Amino acid sequence: MNLIKFDIRSQICPATLLIALKEINRHTQSLEEGTVKLVFLTDNRDALTTIPESVTNMGYSVNVIKDENCYSIEVSGGER
Amino acid sequence: MDNHYALIIGICLVLGLLSGAVMYLSDFCIAGMFRDLFLLRRTVMLRYLVLLVVLSMMLFELARQMGFLTLYPFPLLYSPTPANLIGGFLFGTGMVLAGGCVVGTLYKMGSGSVLSAVAFIGLIAGSGLYAEIQPFWASFVKSTTFFQGKITIPQMLGISPLIPISLSSVFGLYFISLWYKDRKLVRISYAKGYLQPWKAALLLSLIGLSSYALIGMPLGVTTSYTKLAAYIGSVLFKEHTDGLAYYHTLPLKYVHPLSGIRLQGGPGPGFDAISAIQFPLVAGIVLGSAASAAWLKEFRIPFGAPIRQYVSALSGGVIMGLASRMAPTCNVWHLLGGLPILAASSVLFLLGLFPGAWLGSRIFAGLVMKERRNDQDVYYGEEIR
Repeated sequence: MNLIKFDIRSQICPATLLIALKEINRHTQSLEEGTVKLVFLTDNRDALTTIPESVTNMGYSVNVIKDENCYSIEVSGGER
Repeated sequence: MDNHYALIIGICLVLGLLSGAVMYLSDFCIAGMFRDLFLLRRTVMLRYLVLLVVLSMMLFELARQMGFLTLYPFPLLYSPTPANLIGGFLFGTGMVLAGGCVVGTLYKMGSGSVLSAVAFIGLIAGSGLYAEIQPFWASFVKSTTFFQGKITIPQMLGISPLIPISLSSVFGLYFISLWYKDRKLVRISYAKGYLQPWKAALLLSLIGLSSYALIGMPLGVTTSYTKLAAYIGSVLFKEHTDGLAYYHTLPLKYVHPLSGIRLQGGPGPGFDAISAIQFPLVAGIVLGSAASAAWLKEFRIPFGAPIRQYVSALSGGVIMGLASRMAPTCNVWHLLGGLPILAASSVLFLLGLFPGAWLGSRIFAGLVMKERRNDQDVYYGEEIR
């Protein structure tokens, strides 16, 4: 599986969510085929509510990990 | 320093620290609540604003009935004028572009956001800009004010606030009970130390009540932004700044309920009641947020956002600063202070806020987030395996 990392730290609200949604839509086919996992690095606390909420509503799986400097939101299509 | 000023500074600093921590932990972004309604078609966060307004409404009325609110309506609220609507409209546009309202900017800046610091600079610039147009705007406000001498809707109707406040509260509580029943008041967040927004609404309503009872008015910060502009102006362009009529006005004149001391203050440079009330509040919100972010190991000062976002934050801050004087005052003052006592000017401000936030959302989506022809410019991805 390919892992694509998006460093979207330091963005103005709600650019983090908009960029994540755009990239998820850009990779819809690969996510559905299970060939790619998207990882979004963010320091925006609001995005830790809105991105998982949106991603779950779209039917994808989401996992969030807190790193030293930011959060990683992993999006995959495995359970869609 | 007089003891009564030390008392006021201490109270406001504590209220600011608490507000900053609560807003940071829950990400209680009022600008986002309005913006998401138009940009993302989401009403979820607006529910917490409704909860906050209804709770404040009930608490203020209860406190008034018990004799804790000696100043009713509180100072710096005026009779309605179309200026409230126009100011609300501009404020709505500005707060969306700035990525936060006048207090949202503070708590985000406290957590290290460079974009919010840029918006804060814009807020001071916009507040200072108002001093340049104040003679014209003041005459417009004077000539268009209606229900002269009446501030709240109950005053206009000539009835006790208890009746319309009770009816509005019951109406609001009905919707809140529906959201509670459908489990729509709880949010799932992966943020460390996340404070549920309904709890934040409850805490902020108690902070607002404490401010009203102890200081004589609810939370407000924007006159201090004008004061900062006046300080800077008096250093850089002393003669010009001294000549601006707005900086010689003293709109705040009241008796502090706790000490019984007569206080006054205005937007001009120099220490007065506005300085004692609002600067500690501003500092408290920034420090409360910074301490919370540091506690969660989330404090950092990030650079590297696209240049368009800095332009958006700065221009949004300028518009919001200007609008907060034109309205007059800001969303926090009107929504968490004026609206709970049914001030007509606050209702007009709210009515202006919606189309303003809509316009801000359109500009944000169309200009700030617009993709360039070369897709690489906006593609943030890096394939790592």
